[in-house]
Amino acid sequence: MKFLIAVGSKEYSKNTLHLGVQIAKAFDAHISIVYVGPKERKLFEGEVDLVRDNLEKWDIFHPGIDVLKWAHGELLKLGYFENAKKNDFNPRHILEENGRFRMVLPSSNGDAELILREGEIVQELRKELSNTPRDLVIIGGSQGKRRMAHDIIQFLPTSVFVVKNMNLKRHYKLLVLTDDSEGTKKALLFAALIAENQKYPIRTLTVSKTKRFGSGYMGAAEYAKAYLKKKNLTVEQFFLSGDPVTHFVQFASDNHIIVMGASTANPFKKFFMGSKPISTLKKSRSPILVVR
Amino acid sequence: MLTNLLFFIREKRWFFVAVIVAILMYFLPHPKDLSTEGYHAIIIIVITIILIIKEPLPLPAIAILMIFLQVLFGIASANEVASAFMNDAVFFIMGSLMLAVAIVSQGLDKRLALGIIKITGNQTWKIVAGFTAISALLSSFIGGHTVTAMMMPVSLTLIRYASKNQKKIINLTAALLFSVAYGATIGSIGTPSGGGRNAIVLNYLTKFSQIEISYLKWMAYAYPMLLLEIPFTIAIILFTFRPEKTNLDSAVRRLSIDVKHSGSMKPKEYLAIILFILVFLGWVFFSSTIGLGMVALMGVFAYLAFDLVEWNDLNKSTNWGVVLLFGAAISIGIQVKNTGAALWLANHFVEFLSIYITDLTVLRATIAIFLTSLFSNLLSSSATVAVVAPVVLNLGGDLVALSFATAISSAFGYFTAVAAPACAIIYSSGLVKSKDFLRAGWKMGIMSIILLVLMMIFWWPLLG
Repeated sequence: MKFLIAVGSKEYSKNTLHLGVQIAKAFDAHISIVYVGPKERKLFEGEVDLVRDNLEKWDIFHPGIDVLKWAHGELLKLGYFENAKKNDFNPRHILEENGRFRMVLPSSNGDAELILREGEIVQELRKELSNTPRDLVIIGGSQGKRRMAHDIIQFLPTSVFVVKNMNLKRHYKLLVLTDDSEGTKKALLFAALIAENQKYPIRTLTVSKTKRFGSGYMGAAEYAKAYLKKKNLTVEQFFLSGDPVTHFVQFASDNHIIVMGASTANPFKKFFMGSKPISTLKKSRSPILVVR
Repeated sequence: MLTNLLFFIREKRWFFVAVIVAILMYFLPHPKDLSTEGYHAIIIIVITIILIIKEPLPLPAIAILMIFLQVLFGIASANEVASAFMNDAVFFIMGSLMLAVAIVSQGLDKRLALGIIKITGNQTWKIVAGFTAISALLSSFIGGHTVTAMMMPVSLTLIRYASKNQKKIINLTAALLFSVAYGATIGSIGTPSGGGRNAIVLNYLTKFSQIEISYLKWMAYAYPMLLLEIPFTIAIILFTFRPEKTNLDSAVRRLSIDVKHSGSMKPKEYLAIILFILVFLGWVFFSSTIGLGMVALMGVFAYLAFDLVEWNDLNKSTNWGVVLLFGAAISIGIQVKNTGAALWLANHFVEFLSIYITDLTVLRATIAIFLTSLFSNLLSSSATVAVVAPVVLNLGGDLVALSFATAISSAFGYFTAVAAPACAIIYSSGLVKSKDFLRAGWKMGIMSIILLVLMMIFWWPLLG
């Protein structure tokens, strides 16, 4: 598997990076760490590039390289590289290719990549995924940027884990949201793997808009129970009636990691009206994994 | 598929807004006292402003759009647009962008660093003052972005050596970087070769009003203002960003050690300096006869002929999109004048503002200064001049004074990180915030406008 961990800045991305690496280890996945920095105004791109080229002669590198250097240091601390000397960070080893800067570092889990891109974050992540498809994007939750939450869920063509309000010292439970959609099965697959490796307790929540739970909902809950039992995982199941998103958010509070399938609704409907994953991400105070 | 389409629409939304605005304007009845061609030229300007500010398209695409719309809208024939597109001002912009690459690649910045440190010593305020003055004086001849490219490594090296923790020297960092950016910005008004907008104004003055301004005459008008701005700029920077350290002793020492490693001056470096001096002399003595652009291109030719720069480097580092954009902006500027749109806009500005300002001279100067300053901070100085100058030249009154007011006030791009190349460059370091530009920029703006008005009242009339 291939995971892409998107980091923002040194101050706010530590949890995202640490959790991302833990999960990647659990899945035995290759990781790429990407930092998307602000892009210069097109009018002055030439001048800025001229200055940056000149600065390199003075060993002063693109400010984004600093973030990659920090990410590299964190990977070393996490023991991601067995041979620290062999994986020394040298900005001059960063290559410019396909509109991005990239450094490849060999590790026991396969090559790790450090990538620097410039521009609008969702657009650049899409470009990165079109360049090399990944199974999961792990990204920090950006407070207050509601439109970005919408765009991340709607436009990234892969599963997305938004590490929102994550506290690595807190004991989290996985909360898998089950319904009659196809996404539930994929969500269970991811949740089971994480639960197995991270030893998180697992819960499922089924919310029906009416008091009556149809056969689809009950069937999904039964499937979840059987699937998790097969994986030797114990599960607590909950059933609630009312507005799904409100219940998801209230139930999850800030001590669950929400796992849910991506919406299969029409993209136009999602664009204008939103979807359950988008609304849940916007309103929740928990990390959320949307599986596609 | 549908998701990709939605994403495309989201990414290009400002392009679609521009198209809708253009269609609406096209089919709306246009003012009776404005020609159809003039109205169409204004439509092109409106959509260009939207596209340049929001940047949904690559710059060359915007330039190409401006070019073919002039023909499609029946404003001018293809040949007329082509001849307006390529003129000496565009040659100058192209030449100066290439000269910047040639000069910066010589590594003269290390010599410059040593020279400045020798003059300023170790005290922070003296270093800030030295950076501001040197950036201003140099950029008046070789353009703001060239100087910023050479001064940035010096500033950033001092910042790096001043403290291991950059958070402890936020104000010092801002002071050093703004001294380069604002120094280069104020300096660019000093001579015609200080910036592309100066060349555009000179070109328009000759083309529209048959008024020739020599290199030295420009300096006589603009240089005193530049010299006056230097101490005020230093004071504003030091007052706004009070440096945490009064002395940069160890940082200066380490910088000196770094740059001394480059050894003594090499023959190629001497040749590079001699060639630049020849280019400068060419601008002073021959630009009136052969044009600023021709001299710049001769300089580029010399740097290439003497193997001081590789064509590949010039090709890679020159922003050809900007050259295309300014060519297109100048061609639409000329059509704005030729179709009567400039006169119509000028009359309406005067009519609107005459309610508040009765003195015609003050009113004209107000339009020239404020319109240009406003658009410079939104678009960029040179692009602004290309479309605003034809309007200003139709205001009537003292055209030379108004042209200088336009060219100079187009350099007042202090308020945002995207108004001037020098500001964009220091912002790209990631060490200054966009709010820092506003913190110092409003003071710089007021100071510059006051000085410009004083020059218009007291100095320029003496020049005849």
